[in-house]
Amino acid sequence: MPNSIVSIRDVVKEYSLGKVVVPALRGVSLEVERGEFISIAGPSGSGKTTLLNLIGCVDTATRGTVEVAGKNTSALSERQLTQLRLDTLGFIFQSFNLVAVLTVFQNVELPLLLQNKLGSGERKKRVMELLTAVGIDTHAQHRPSELSGGQRQRVAIARALVTEPQIVLADEPTANLDSATGEAIIDLMKDLNQKKGITFIFSTHDHRVMKHADSVVRLADGKIIGKESADAAVQAALTSAAGRSPVGAH
Amino acid sequence: MTFLIAFRSLLQHKRRTFVLGAAVAFVTVVMLTLLGIAEGMNRTLIESSTTLMSGHVNVAGFYKVTAGQAAPVVTHYKQVVEVIRQAVPELKYIAQRGRGWAKITSDGGTNKMFGLTGIDVKNEKGLAAVLKIKEGKLEDLAKPGSIMLFEDQARDLEVKVGDALTIQAPTPRGVNNTLDVTVVAIANNMGMMSQFSSFINEASLRQLYQLNDETTGALMIYMGTTDLVQLKKVEDKLREALGKSGYQILEEDPRAFFFKFENVTREAWTGQKLDITNWRDEVNFVSWTVDLMNALAFFLAFVFLSVVGIGIMIVMWISIRERTREIGTLRAIGMQRGRVMRMFLAEGFLLGVLSTTAGALFGLVLAVVINGADVTLPQGFQFILMSDHLKVVPTVAWTLVAVVFITAVITGISLLPSFIAARLKPVTAMQHVG
Repeated sequence: MPNSIVSIRDVVKEYSLGKVVVPALRGVSLEVERGEFISIAGPSGSGKTTLLNLIGCVDTATRGTVEVAGKNTSALSERQLTQLRLDTLGFIFQSFNLVAVLTVFQNVELPLLLQNKLGSGERKKRVMELLTAVGIDTHAQHRPSELSGGQRQRVAIARALVTEPQIVLADEPTANLDSATGEAIIDLMKDLNQKKGITFIFSTHDHRVMKHADSVVRLADGKIIGKESADAAVQAALTSAAGRSPVGAH
Repeated sequence: MTFLIAFRSLLQHKRRTFVLGAAVAFVTVVMLTLLGIAEGMNRTLIESSTTLMSGHVNVAGFYKVTAGQAAPVVTHYKQVVEVIRQAVPELKYIAQRGRGWAKITSDGGTNKMFGLTGIDVKNEKGLAAVLKIKEGKLEDLAKPGSIMLFEDQARDLEVKVGDALTIQAPTPRGVNNTLDVTVVAIANNMGMMSQFSSFINEASLRQLYQLNDETTGALMIYMGTTDLVQLKKVEDKLREALGKSGYQILEEDPRAFFFKFENVTREAWTGQKLDITNWRDEVNFVSWTVDLMNALAFFLAFVFLSVVGIGIMIVMWISIRERTREIGTLRAIGMQRGRVMRMFLAEGFLLGVLSTTAGALFGLVLAVVINGADVTLPQGFQFILMSDHLKVVPTVAWTLVAVVFITAVITGISLLPSFIAARLKPVTAMQHVG
């Protein structure tokens, strides 16, 4: 049995803006192993979010193959893709994307209700366990608007994990958080990765976040320019930043 | 969860929900009030028709000495009664009444054509309970040569209690006969029906038409129900039983007896033919007003709903635009398109149910207030609405019809925006800014 949980081969993604075709990914190939804690790094517009969207089955490739958990996503119907997202993937968004009218508990419970596999008691138990794990159990009956950014992202992490997915995708999960909270969120994700063996793929351009990854896939102009260790990637990111900074030029 | 999200989304936009809900509730109130007025008309119609000119089911008939001369009589009626009693043992009672269509002239020279009903007032307890005598005494109709008029008839003829009238009508033998009568009572109007009918001493009607004791105008059968489906079965049983007993029966014709004269006199037969009708047939010439009022209720509701519906659709578009990112998120985390659609439909449905329920409650309160205020109607409306007072009769059935109808329309209006929300691609929806 191959150990790759995500397999991307020669993927091209193009967007049409009127008559102009804008390439977002230009022939990307990538293998992600089960249980990896992998970061996708690169500057804005490099294709990080597009790559995550393709892995997350919320978008389709123009050309090439995307396999998630052994399934070729281009061969699946809309309904099957939705089911794949529900059963196999968890999402953590930069802006948290919680349902404003639901409580913390209900937001986390929602994917379980969509799955309709567990009874009420089991659902409650699992939700409360996760809320405790992310340290937000005392706010279970609060609405998202009553929480801080860090607390909301913890709720989003709990929601992403509640169905026990094989892969969690996080798009700039710390971008809207202060550095201390961002560190805490990454530590929490890393802890869950190590304890539960869940594959985490997250995008970032923050080297403080990048350093926690097992490996870093570096993107530029829609192409993968390297997959390297976190230390090497951080060093490269720092060098690149210094090259662009007027201070670093001296 | 679908309904919870829908309900809380409505609550989150309180002002918007309140305005839309109030509009829907208003439509419900209008529809219920109009349906209530139609029901009031219908009940007045049933009450007045089954009091003034019809039983629940009638066995009447025409007797023709020659092909061109018809009289509205049933000969040897006691034998007919026997057949009726055997065929319909569940009937409550049978009243036999004389019938006529005559020209009535006052001493002042004013004349008017209307229906005459010959009654034995001692055997008409139901009538005494329903008629409201304004002047004179109903019991005086026991005297030969007496007549009771409704107030509009008395006004048109310019007579009061104690005044004399001359009645002129053709007998079954084809000769005109006249009879002098005295007004012994004047009753309050009973809607449109009281324009066409008056009561006369039964013996006097026989005298006018020169009929014997074995002859009557109509046998009015009271069943204890006005339900037309039930009554139709009774009519069918009577047709079969009377046919088997050798009586000639007229073909079914849902019109009042005096509308049938022309047809009957054109036909070539002579002798007796029986005519079986129900109360609705006898008032068919006025019951269109009830149907019109019902149609008006639905039409106005439809017009108002169209206006409100456009508002609801616009608000749902706004709501979907505002919640596009939420829709994208829900689709991304695994909500199927059908469920997204149901979520928005649930909003329309909840808005419909809650507002129509509130509207129904307001409608009921309004009906109580209107009925309590005892609003006297202008003359023209009295004629159309068949009552001198505005009467709103809300029924459980019509309330349910209004609530279900309006909720269904509101939910239906939500269908297109919901469908479009469900078709949004998750990636596009999540990237939406606004």
